[in-house]
Amino acid sequence: MESRILQLIAALRASGVRVSLAESAEAFSAVDLMGIQDRNHFRLSLRTTLIKDLRDLPVFDKLFPLFFGSGEPPMMGGDPTDDMTPEEAQMLAQALREFAQSLRQRMQRLMNGEQLSRQELETLGRMVGLNQADDLRYQEWLAQRMMRALAFPEVREALRELMEQLQQMGMSRERLEQMREQIQQNMQGLEDQIKQFAGERIAENLSERPPGENVDNLMNRPFNALADDEKKILQREVKRLAAALRTRIALRQKRAKSGQLDPKSTIRTNLKYHGVPMEIKYRDRTRKPRIVVICDISTSMRFCSELMLSFLFALQGQIRKTYAFAFIDHLESISEDFNGSDADEAVASVLLRMPSGHYNTDLGWSLNDFNNEYLDTLNGQTTLIVVGDGRNNFNDPRLDIFSLMTRRAARTIWLNPEPPVMWHGDSDMPKYAPLCNNVLKVGNLKELVSAVDQLLSA
Amino acid sequence: MNNPFESTGRVKASLNEQKYIASDEIATIVFLAQKLGKPLLTEGPAGVGKTELAKAIAGATGRELIRLQCYEGLDESKALYEWEYSKQLLYTQLLRDKLNDTLGKSESLAEAADKLAKEEDVFFSNRFLLQRPLLRAILCDQPTVLLIDEIDRADAEFEAFLLEVLSDFQVSVPELGTLTAKHRPFVVLTSNNTRELSEALKRRCLYLFIDYPTLQEELAVVRLKVPDLSPKLAQQAVEFVQKLRSTEMRKSPSISETLDWANALVALNAKSLDKQTLEDTLSVLVKHEADIQKARRQFIAPPPARGKPDEFGRFSGN
Repeated sequence: MESRILQLIAALRASGVRVSLAESAEAFSAVDLMGIQDRNHFRLSLRTTLIKDLRDLPVFDKLFPLFFGSGEPPMMGGDPTDDMTPEEAQMLAQALREFAQSLRQRMQRLMNGEQLSRQELETLGRMVGLNQADDLRYQEWLAQRMMRALAFPEVREALRELMEQLQQMGMSRERLEQMREQIQQNMQGLEDQIKQFAGERIAENLSERPPGENVDNLMNRPFNALADDEKKILQREVKRLAAALRTRIALRQKRAKSGQLDPKSTIRTNLKYHGVPMEIKYRDRTRKPRIVVICDISTSMRFCSELMLSFLFALQGQIRKTYAFAFIDHLESISEDFNGSDADEAVASVLLRMPSGHYNTDLGWSLNDFNNEYLDTLNGQTTLIVVGDGRNNFNDPRLDIFSLMTRRAARTIWLNPEPPVMWHGDSDMPKYAPLCNNVLKVGNLKELVSAVDQLLSA
Repeated sequence: MNNPFESTGRVKASLNEQKYIASDEIATIVFLAQKLGKPLLTEGPAGVGKTELAKAIAGATGRELIRLQCYEGLDESKALYEWEYSKQLLYTQLLRDKLNDTLGKSESLAEAADKLAKEEDVFFSNRFLLQRPLLRAILCDQPTVLLIDEIDRADAEFEAFLLEVLSDFQVSVPELGTLTAKHRPFVVLTSNNTRELSEALKRRCLYLFIDYPTLQEELAVVRLKVPDLSPKLAQQAVEFVQKLRSTEMRKSPSISETLDWANALVALNAKSLDKQTLEDTLSVLVKHEADIQKARRQFIAPPPARGKPDEFGRFSGN
């Protein structure tokens, strides 16, 4: 039983539910307490200790019966010839004789309500490649294939023929109806058995799957080596990290707030008490940054910028004001896109508006755009962040504008996926870098997280 | 002490006595939470009885219910404790003479300071400590039920602070030392799921999701809480509410609204759910203007072109 519960937990983890060690220990003590006699109590004790999120409930509800099945599906056992008259049995035997050997056996087993043995199921599973499957979405499909391997459709067809034949031979209507019903139920039972087996096996595979493909590994993977579905996983992870980061920053700002006594404002507020300090005022040391972020969203940089943007907008509460700009060959303000609540949608709408095409990245020209229209967004409290690889296609880097911008901003941070050794060719990074306060290499999500954290800690 | 929570069946029965109809699921999880000594995190749509559950638990166990209502900007001084600064100040003013007596005889400044230091405890004692819900739950001589309502409305930083308290039920007040709970309170947290709670908090709690009730459950609740409503009308009313819930609404009616509505029907002395009664009382049940319009269109007066006359015929009881 214990190993079964552990398998369930492993399968939950493999399906993306976060189950901590403490929680699994909790599950065991809950099961100890409730016992396992009552299946419903058992299920609830596991569920309340393991699942803490509404979205994970369906996963649990799906996996639980696969590990702790409700027993064998019901079959109508017994020989159908038992309560037949000798003539009727004779008729059935004769009708059956018309069919090929293999089909005949199958039909007889169905009529008798025999279940498949474990071994037969294993063989079937091997035939359709069940042992490689580790995704529950394939359950239905694999079960179908197993049934096909059992020649289910043929058997069904043959049974229909058999019925017709028996009818022609003069078997009574009620008897036929009774047989049909029994066979129908047995078929359903068999189908359930196969489905259950397929599900169980997939769930077991799931629990044995090495945890290699988990998020931690993805976090260390460079952005340009990510497959599409991995990007989706990371997008989810970004949300989680943003929430964690938000808590941390909030704590930091909170601690900073209750710091020092502010004598000036204390005296001022207590003038009404004749200078007796009735209300104490503390200095608010929180400095929420204003951020201007300029993102390169050309193909090479797109994913990094996307994550950066979703990050910044997930942190809304901790940042006073964000202005976001995106460029490929010219600059566009994208702040308006992020006024809604859903950062994903916003990113998608920006990408739709500025599709990556064959035109060339031109940072210099984009800086010129910025200089003409948006320079007033930079002031002494602003942190300027540039996300890009600095590859300018040999266009004019407009260092004059960039240095003007860095002088207006309080701080300039450049996030670049390339390490310094790769700054050659058409890269203008060596020229931009000395103007920045900080150049951080952000090649994967982990580095991005630490960069954002650093950004907001100062 | 006679523990009313010694089996799931007893939990269910004693919650029932408190006029709270608990499903098997709720009873089992409440039982587990109390046995394992874990906080219970309940989530679900507004008005399905999350807060009510905490009250019922308090009632069933005969414990005092201490409630901490969360809101944006709630901080430690509102949740845990605060020094009553003005009272301290008042006392120092009034006791000035006494202080002069004590300190007047001292020869040097250092001696006076030492003497004052000895009396310091007077000013930082329980007398001047303003207990807020969390500290009250910890210091209470009797076991209590601590309800932390709508935790999702509090800030992330408060959640982090709450974690510390919930993990070992002790707080340190720098002037008094560490205060440890004599009895672990039974903690119930509720959340309307308006924001993601932190993993750490969830990890420490048992999770219970309360959804809208089924027809039978809701009918049982209505019969229990509004006994004056005739059984036939109650059945019709609950069926209507369930139907409303199945349509797309900005705010689906919850049990509390069903109960309000049932009470309204009793107050209006309604005999059946006819068109006029529905028109009059719909706003008790549905709170958004757009939803009211929609419900009216769909259930009360369907557009004549497509509408079938028997659509509301079943409500008029003919």
